[in-house]
Amino acid sequence: MHINRGATLRGRGRSYVTDESFFLSPDGRDDPAAELEASIAALAEADSQARCAYPARYRFIAEQFGWQDSAPFAHCEEYLSWREQIPDGPVVLIFPAAYLNSPSSMFGHTLLRIDGEEEDGVWLSQAVNFGAQVDSSDNSIFYIYRGLAGGYPGYFSIVPYLTKIQDYAHLENRDMWEYTLSLDDEERRWLVEHLWELRDIRFDYYFFDENCSFRLLELIEVARPGSRLLDDYRFAEVPVNTVRALQDAGLIEKRVYRPSKAAELDHLASQLSPAARRLARRLAADPSLADEDEFLSHPVEQQRLMAQTAYEFLRFRNRTRERDAQVARNSLAMLRLVNRLSGQVVAEAVPLSEPEPPEEGHATKMIAAAYGQREGHEFGEVQLRYTYHDLFDNSTGFLRGAQIEGINVRLRSTESAALKLERFDLVNIRSLAPRSTFVRPVSWFVHAGIERVQAGDEDDRRYGRSHFVEGGPGLSWQWGRLTPFVFATFRAENNSAYDPFVTGAAGASGGLLWHAGRGATLGVQGSGYYLNNDEYRHRASVTANLPLTRNNALRLDLERLAVRGDADTEFRVSWRYFYD
Amino acid sequence: MKKIVLATALLGASMTASANAPGGPGCGWGNMLFEGQSGLPIHLLATLVNGTSGNATFGMTSGTNGCDTSGALAYSGSSLLAMNGVLEEVAHDIAMGEGEALTALSVSMGVSSDDRGHFNSVLHQNFSAIFPHESVTAEEVLASIQAIMKADQQLVKYTA
Repeated sequence: MHINRGATLRGRGRSYVTDESFFLSPDGRDDPAAELEASIAALAEADSQARCAYPARYRFIAEQFGWQDSAPFAHCEEYLSWREQIPDGPVVLIFPAAYLNSPSSMFGHTLLRIDGEEEDGVWLSQAVNFGAQVDSSDNSIFYIYRGLAGGYPGYFSIVPYLTKIQDYAHLENRDMWEYTLSLDDEERRWLVEHLWELRDIRFDYYFFDENCSFRLLELIEVARPGSRLLDDYRFAEVPVNTVRALQDAGLIEKRVYRPSKAAELDHLASQLSPAARRLARRLAADPSLADEDEFLSHPVEQQRLMAQTAYEFLRFRNRTRERDAQVARNSLAMLRLVNRLSGQVVAEAVPLSEPEPPEEGHATKMIAAAYGQREGHEFGEVQLRYTYHDLFDNSTGFLRGAQIEGINVRLRSTESAALKLERFDLVNIRSLAPRSTFVRPVSWFVHAGIERVQAGDEDDRRYGRSHFVEGGPGLSWQWGRLTPFVFATFRAENNSAYDPFVTGAAGASGGLLWHAGRGATLGVQGSGYYLNNDEYRHRASVTANLPLTRNNALRLDLERLAVRGDADTEFRVSWRYFYD
Repeated sequence: MKKIVLATALLGASMTASANAPGGPGCGWGNMLFEGQSGLPIHLLATLVNGTSGNATFGMTSGTNGCDTSGALAYSGSSLLAMNGVLEEVAHDIAMGEGEALTALSVSMGVSSDDRGHFNSVLHQNFSAIFPHESVTAEEVLASIQAIMKADQQLVKYTA
C-alpha cells in the first residue's frame, strides 16, 4: 500500500501513491482498512480484473484466508505474458557512481536489475528504474524546477539493462557498482509480482526524500518484510546510504565493478609509454601511420594496445556527437587493426584494477571541533557539515578531485566573544578533472555562502559579513600523486561593511594537492581577487588531512589572509568525525 | 521458453523479415555503424531526476529507437542491433573476439552456451566480411552474420 509509517515528512499515515487507480476503495489512500476490505471483496471473484492488476495483493490475501485456486490468473493474458518475459534470476542493486564535472550526477542514482541465467551475461537483463518520466517536449527549466521541488510524477519503468549501461557507463562515463542481493526465489516472486502492481502507477517524485533510492528500499521491503530498511527517518537519501542500509540488513551477497568508458580508456593509456600515447593519438587521426616504421617498431602487443587506445579515444570523443564520416572511417580502421593484431597476440589483457567501493568511504555527515589561534588570540570552533566530501577528506570510495559540500557551518568562539558565525557554505562544489593526452576537460567551481571578512585598511579595520557567490573555470592535471590546478574566479558579494548593495570581484587561484598514501592529503593553495571598490584580498593556505579511521580524521590548517596587504595568520587543528 | 521469447523480443521478426526493414521508417535498422547517440541534452536532464529518457516502458514494448511497436512487431521494438549504440559495441567485441555485447548477440540469436566460443571465433575471423565499410547498417550486419552462420556446420542449426 506504500503507506508512510514515518520515514519521511509529508503525509504520514497516508499512502505515497497519488494515483487513484491504485486503490480499490474510494478512500484507499487514507484508509488502509477500507482498502483491505475492498481488496478482499474484489479479489475473491475468480475471474476478476483486480486479480490481474494485483497479483501480489491477491497472493497475500489468499494466503491469509486459505483461498484455494490452482490458476488464479488464468484469465490475465497480459500479466502472464509479461511475467514470462521477466527473468527469474538474481536481483541486483545498481549504483552508478558520480562522475567528474557533472553536477547532475552528484547524488548518484540507484536502480534494480533482474538477471537471467548467469552464462547469458547481463546485457539482456531487465533494469527496474524509478524516476520522473522525461518527455523531450518538456520545457527544460520548468522541468528541473519541478523535478527538484516535487510534484513531478514518478513512475517505475523496466528497460533492458544494456540501455542503462549505455546511459551511464558509455555516455556519461560513470563507473557502475552492481550488488547482488541475497533474495531467495520466494522473495523475488513477491518483488516481481508487486512490481506489476506498480505499472503505470504514479507517485510524486521528490528529489530529496521520496526519490529513487527510497522507492527501491520500499520494493525490497515488500520482498523481505521485516528487513527494517525503512525504520530510520530518511531525508535526502544519498544512494550510497542505500547500499549501506542493504549491507547492514545482510542483503548484499556479491559486488561487481563495471568501469566506465573513460576508466577503460585511462586503463589502456596507462599501459603505454608517453611516446606511445602520443603516437596512439596521432594514429586516431591518421590510420595510415599503422604502416610506418614508427608504429611497426613497437612489439605487437604494444601495437594492439595503441590501436585499442586510439579506437577508444575516437569513440570517447565522438560517441555523443553527430555521426561524422571521417571519424567513422578511422574508427573502423582502428578496429580492423585490432582485429588483425589480436590474432597474433597471445598475452592476456591486463585487468583493470578495481577502485575501493563507495560504501567503504567515510560517512556523509560531519561534525568537527577545532582549536586555533589568529594573530596570537585563541579561539575554539565547532563545524557541522550536512554533506559530503571535500578535496582533503579521505578519497577512499569517493571520486578523487570531486568536492561537494552542502550546508557547512563553522561557529567560532573567541576570548572576547561568544559563538559567532564564522562561515556558512550553502554549496561549495569544485571539480578537478585532470587533463591528459586524450581528454581535455575544463574544471570548474561554484561556491555560495556567508563568510566573515576583513574590510578597510590598517587605520580603519572592520569585519564585514559577506554574502557571496563565486565560481569559475579552471584546469587541472595529474602527475602521479600530485594534482596541480588553477582557476579563474568571478565573485559577487553583498558585504555589510561596504555601501553598495553588490560588489563584484575577479581574480585567480591555484594550488597543488599531494595524495600521500593511506588516504592522507596535503595541499597548498593560493588565491587573490580584486573587488571593484579597489580593495583586494589574498589568501594562502597549507592544509593537511590525516584519516585515523574510516570516520575520524585530524586536520591542520595554516592560513594567511590579507586585505590590501595587511595580513593575519591563522592556525587551526581540528578533529573531524563523520557519521550517518 | 524464456530464451525464445527473449530472442523474439530482441531480434524481432528479423529472421523472416529482415529484407523489408521491420518496424517501419525511422526504425534503427538503417542505423549505420558508429552512429552518434544524439539527444544528449534531454538525456542529461533525465539524469538529474533519474528518469528514463524515451517512452514509458514496462518491459513490454520498448520504443527506444523509433521502431513501430504496434501489432505483431510489438516485441521486436528493441531489436538488439537496431538499438542506438549497440552496433558499434558488437563491432568492437567481434574485433576483439569476445565481450558482453557479443554474448548478448549470441543469446538473442539462440546460440547455446556450448557453441558460443565457436560463434565468437567464427565472427572474429570474419570481421572484415561483416563490417566491409564504415557505412554498413544494422540490417546488413545481421544478414552477413546469418550468411556466415549458414556456411558453418556447427552454427547452421541456429539459422533455421
